[in-house]
Amino acid sequence: MIEFQNLTKTYGPLRAVDGLSLRVERGEVYALLGPNGAGKTTALRCLATLQAPTSGTALVGDADVREQPLVVRARIGFLAASMGLYERLTPVELLEYFGRLHHMEGPALEGRVAELTHMFGITPFASQRCGTLSTGQAQRVSVARALVHDPPALILDEPTMGLDVLSGEVIYRFIEAERDRGKAILFSTHQMAEVELLADRVGVLSGGRLVAEGTPASLIERTGERNLARAFLALVQGDDGSEGEGEDISPEEPA
Amino acid sequence: MSIAWVVFRKELRETLRDRRTLMVMVAIPILLYPVLLIATEQFALMGIRRIESEASEVAVTGPASDDLMEFLAADQDLELLDVPYPVEAIRSEIVGAVAVFGPVAEEGGTQRATVLYDAADERSQRARTVLARALRSWDDTLLARRITERGLPPGFADPLAVADSSVARPEELGGYTLGRFLPMLLILMTLLGTFYPAIDLAAGEKERGTLEPLLTTPVPPRQIVVGKFMAVALIGVVAAALNLASMLLTFQTGLFQLGGSLDIEFALPWGSVLLIFGTLIPLAVLFASLFLGIALRSRSFKEAQTALTPVYLLVMVPALLPVFPGIGFTVALAAVPVAGLGIFFRELMAGSPALVPSMVAVATTGLWAWAALAFASASFGREDVLFGVGDAHVETGGGFRERLRRLLGPVSDTPSAAQAIGFVAAVAVLFFYMGFPLQAGWGERGLLLSEWLLLLLPAFLFVGVAGFDFGETFSFRRPEGRKVLGSVLLIAGGMPLGWFLAWAQGFVLPIPWDMLEGLEELITAESASRLLWLLALLALTPAICEEVVFRGVLLAGIRGRASAVRVAAFNGLVFGAFHISFESAFRFLPTAWLGFLLAWAVLATRSIWVGILMHFLNNGSIVLMASVPALRAWLEDGGEAPPWVLLAPALLAVAMGVKLLGGASDDSKMMGDAADSN
Repeated sequence: MIEFQNLTKTYGPLRAVDGLSLRVERGEVYALLGPNGAGKTTALRCLATLQAPTSGTALVGDADVREQPLVVRARIGFLAASMGLYERLTPVELLEYFGRLHHMEGPALEGRVAELTHMFGITPFASQRCGTLSTGQAQRVSVARALVHDPPALILDEPTMGLDVLSGEVIYRFIEAERDRGKAILFSTHQMAEVELLADRVGVLSGGRLVAEGTPASLIERTGERNLARAFLALVQGDDGSEGEGEDISPEEPA
Repeated sequence: MSIAWVVFRKELRETLRDRRTLMVMVAIPILLYPVLLIATEQFALMGIRRIESEASEVAVTGPASDDLMEFLAADQDLELLDVPYPVEAIRSEIVGAVAVFGPVAEEGGTQRATVLYDAADERSQRARTVLARALRSWDDTLLARRITERGLPPGFADPLAVADSSVARPEELGGYTLGRFLPMLLILMTLLGTFYPAIDLAAGEKERGTLEPLLTTPVPPRQIVVGKFMAVALIGVVAAALNLASMLLTFQTGLFQLGGSLDIEFALPWGSVLLIFGTLIPLAVLFASLFLGIALRSRSFKEAQTALTPVYLLVMVPALLPVFPGIGFTVALAAVPVAGLGIFFRELMAGSPALVPSMVAVATTGLWAWAALAFASASFGREDVLFGVGDAHVETGGGFRERLRRLLGPVSDTPSAAQAIGFVAAVAVLFFYMGFPLQAGWGERGLLLSEWLLLLLPAFLFVGVAGFDFGETFSFRRPEGRKVLGSVLLIAGGMPLGWFLAWAQGFVLPIPWDMLEGLEELITAESASRLLWLLALLALTPAICEEVVFRGVLLAGIRGRASAVRVAAFNGLVFGAFHISFESAFRFLPTAWLGFLLAWAVLATRSIWVGILMHFLNNGSIVLMASVPALRAWLEDGGEAPPWVLLAPALLAVAMGVKLLGGASDDSKMMGDAADSN
């Protein structure tokens, strides 16, 4: 459903993403792990058509981000790390606005908005302006906005950043539910626990390159570490040229 | 439902929930004008009445007659005091004015009197007016006595009594008066009405992080821009309309009547009001698009405010134009953005707009608005504009020393565009405050010093201190012989074309003949030694010093930022702007054209030497032409078109020059260089 094909993105001399290739299938949750500056957000932005790849490309279904950006956008739900909401709109107004931008209207739109406000527990603060919401409430609205058009692929950039345990739990449940509905989900994160909890497969980015790929268990096993966090450190440090314990690990073929 | 309409409705809803916009759009026009105008009038009237209700304290010194002193003492508006030292008495506010009488005249003669007062003191001004009025009245009394004593008729000393009477009806006078200031206020209020919403809808959206989700919707960016600009433009129009209505209503209530002192009626015909309202729409679109386009390039609300403030101030200049006396409604002025519409409003309020300039003003405003909209749309689709990714690899952090080193130190071999433009701006300021006084005080020596010390020296210091590469920044390269020939042909043809441009410009801008005659005297040599000196001063010196700044530092900074034509055009515009003098802007176009040619040649050869050569040839030719009597005779034939026979060879020379400088392969090399420097 989601596929990166040797995608590279450079800013002047800096290679933010360097020849990234990976696939995310329907009904699969794929976690993109990497230290700050590894290129996770840039890769997701290229997939979301916000930035143009310098070379290579990415596909959502059969739609190429370079050739058919509008088709790609219709097929993805993108949750940016910034969680930006229109402060002077209410959650319902915001969801209706994005629904209309996805060419929805009438009873279908109203029904979908009602469904999402119920699903994410937005109803109690549905008529409050977004500027007055707590971080957790705002993130729920933000996720609902990304889902308003019920896209087959979800791209989530650090979806639980800054959330407390309860709010994070809502997001976890949502991701699991969407996977069960057959959606392809690609998310970036720093939280090892949520990767172990949610991800079917993991890709580790370092210096813009995909240095390892596999299930969480396989990465732990291959690095010989006790847990994913240590495995991640080993992979990343090894890639940096510093002393790491990892063996020569290259990305596996997609499942 | 159209996407632009969806965006428009959302933006409008959100904007109307913003207190800041509501303040500017609604509260100011509704409350401020009535309160401000009426309060101003009332305070002014209170002050005037207070001053008028009190007798002015005055004094008389010198040989004034007793009759006069009695006459003045009887005037209830005056209070006579004795003061020994008139000036000190006025300065210490003991009296407001003092009449100092000269020697008594012989029978039938004239006695002189001077009224001393303090022009910087309102009470003193009032005392002077009252005292002068009383003295004139006394003068009339004396004259009447003399006429009676000689048995002459009363009208003997007044053979012609002149009075004037305006045929303007009160409402016409009102329209004329409104036309003097209302256009400026309307333009500024439209500007202000679009200012904050544009920032909020563009930079604010980036700052709040809402732009990314918006741009991942399956909607072409252009439709989003259209929706946004429709909202901003509507807010601007509504703000301006509310201002217009509020001002007119305030005047028409009769509360503001300048104390009833003038027979004036502040009213505009409904037709004019509707027309003004209609033409505010393209103006609002122009401002909305321009501000959106600029605000989109900013990363935050604050940065957008900083970027837009100079634009705001710049727009105020043409907005002020209708206020100045003697500014006619010509077709040329009608085409000037903002100014044209402002003068149209003024004429409309006065009731007599000429048809052709009116149509030009409205049509060109529409065209400017369209161009600004295209600019905004282009900004919205650009990745670097949306995310500022060009700065992604810029180093950050570090201690103060490290930051200072980064600030001063080079990030590459040549200055960036911002550094180069900043340098030229600094040099221009230096030249303005030091160069002009040097030239005014020391003449030709001052000109020589200002070129070498205020242009060349700072350029070398800038590059040296910052650590840029001298060779790269100043393009110190040896050009190919073929390209040197091309450059010579380019300037040989470009010069006459510049004369044609200057001649054509004369139809729009007045030619300052006095200044040209002065200039001609300066560049005319009567002897061989003088000719050599003038060539050194006026041809060689600018060829070196100005080239180093404009085709050196500036071109190095902007090279590769756009196509060669655009870069050369920008360079020419800056060069032209640098040569605008106090007296007239007439040098702008020909100099900008010269700058364009020089920049083009330097870009094509990557050698500043061809720029220096061309600049020397251009200026040297002018000195030679002014110094050769036969050629000077032609030059002095001011106002006439240059010989048309020159046009075809000039065009041919330019074409050959361009060809020699670089055909397709050289163009691609230039663009390749551009890409490299990115």
